[in-house]
Amino acid sequence: MAHIHLPDGAFSIQWIITWWILAVIILGLCLYWLKKVKKIDNKTITLAAMLTAASFAIFQVNIPLFGGVHMTLTPLTGILAGPVIGSIIVLIVNILSAAIGHGGWGMIGANLLVNITEVTVAYGIYKALSKINLDTFSKAGIGTIIGLLFGNIAMLLIILISGIQGVNQDIQPLLYGLSLIAAVNMGVAIIESFITGYVVSYIKRVRPDILAEESHAGAK
Amino acid sequence: MLLLFRRKSMGQYRMSELSPHIPDLDLITFYSEKGTSLFFRISPWTKAIMLVLIILFVSLDKSLILAVCLYMIVLVLYGLSGLPIKKLFQWYMIPFLFVLSLVLILMWNEPGSPIFSLSVPYFSLTLTDNGLLLMLTLLFKSFASVTYSLFFLMTTRYNYLSAMIYRVFPFPIDQIFLMSYRFIFITLKMVESMIKALRSRGGGLLKSAHRQGKMFAEVFALTMIRSYDRADRVNKAMEARGFSGRYVAATRIPRIGPGEYFSMLAVATMMIYLIWFVRFPF
Repeated sequence: MAHIHLPDGAFSIQWIITWWILAVIILGLCLYWLKKVKKIDNKTITLAAMLTAASFAIFQVNIPLFGGVHMTLTPLTGILAGPVIGSIIVLIVNILSAAIGHGGWGMIGANLLVNITEVTVAYGIYKALSKINLDTFSKAGIGTIIGLLFGNIAMLLIILISGIQGVNQDIQPLLYGLSLIAAVNMGVAIIESFITGYVVSYIKRVRPDILAEESHAGAK
Repeated sequence: MLLLFRRKSMGQYRMSELSPHIPDLDLITFYSEKGTSLFFRISPWTKAIMLVLIILFVSLDKSLILAVCLYMIVLVLYGLSGLPIKKLFQWYMIPFLFVLSLVLILMWNEPGSPIFSLSVPYFSLTLTDNGLLLMLTLLFKSFASVTYSLFFLMTTRYNYLSAMIYRVFPFPIDQIFLMSYRFIFITLKMVESMIKALRSRGGGLLKSAHRQGKMFAEVFALTMIRSYDRADRVNKAMEARGFSGRYVAATRIPRIGPGEYFSMLAVATMMIYLIWFVRFPF
């Protein structure tokens, strides 16, 4: 997943508060939806908790590709749990990650916006492609890469708008540096899209009921 | 003697084999449940408020000197609590790489006095004093907040953390959070055993990115499937025992004492004074 790999203190306090407020508003809408539109049941809560734990555990695995890659498979969370439950899952994963030093506490608001973009876009594309006669691997892979592309764009926009405390360069060299990071992120996104494609097609092959049920729950 | 015994037990404690540079949740829990120093008896609310103050401080601070001072204070607190310093330095790897991944690109060509310059046709890179300051300041800010986060986690019992989560977050975030924290340990063990099985079949030795990716994808897929099945089983078992949809964390969290209020006020005043009323050379 794209993640703003900046520590606490990189953004000024007003931007930390701004991104937090935006993230809280989105989470508030998710909670409202879960309360008024789709009443959340015990099974969904337990399943969301398990997906959170799985997402966090998977992040701890070092994949020995190109020197080592870690991923939390945010788009996969979106495809399996839907954007609403997915947003809550990424909130908890971000809090747990901040607690162990992966991303700053102040960055959780900004990172949530990036991850919610990934979860929502990946889910939306996966669902949209379901109407076309495409195999599961391609649907999940395309959903993931587009989700991560949008996540990357959100990340760049957040950093460009907020600025980094202590960086006094003009916008052009900053944009050049950030583009380099986005390019590296997209390289990892290609690996992640293949892995997500494999994961979803494997689940489809072994336990198709999980995908059917979760896609249905997310779309309700 | 007791201390020696405790040190020995901690040393023998099996670490997560997934990634040595990611903090081991088992070890964190071990310390938080078994610790006896003064810091374990401080109200968890005080430690949480101090975390917020530290985040505010590093967000408002622009001075490297202040960032280094804060880091040293937090490191001393961590050490005085009897927490493992050597492990802490191993766990710095990820925050260190995260800071470098962005700042290593942005620190070049910052306005300031040049320290080092590299010129190739059509392209030049200059490291200035301000570029170097930027990297060091962010690095020390990062270490300060990571060290304090781990200090908070490793000196606060799980019961208190769960009660805080229950009180701070609205439904259903609190429920998902509380359950996921419990599930993390079993899921980690499950992933660990699957990775071991994969390695024992030569998984880690294969060079093909396609094959490697596919194998890890199968591990992840199995994790998801098993998590789903476990969630289903757990839910049925909980409902059979009368679970009505609300998981209540009823532990009474120790209140903030008058001395703790005073200490927080003193820290906040000191921070405001240092940030707004003292000028540091850098």
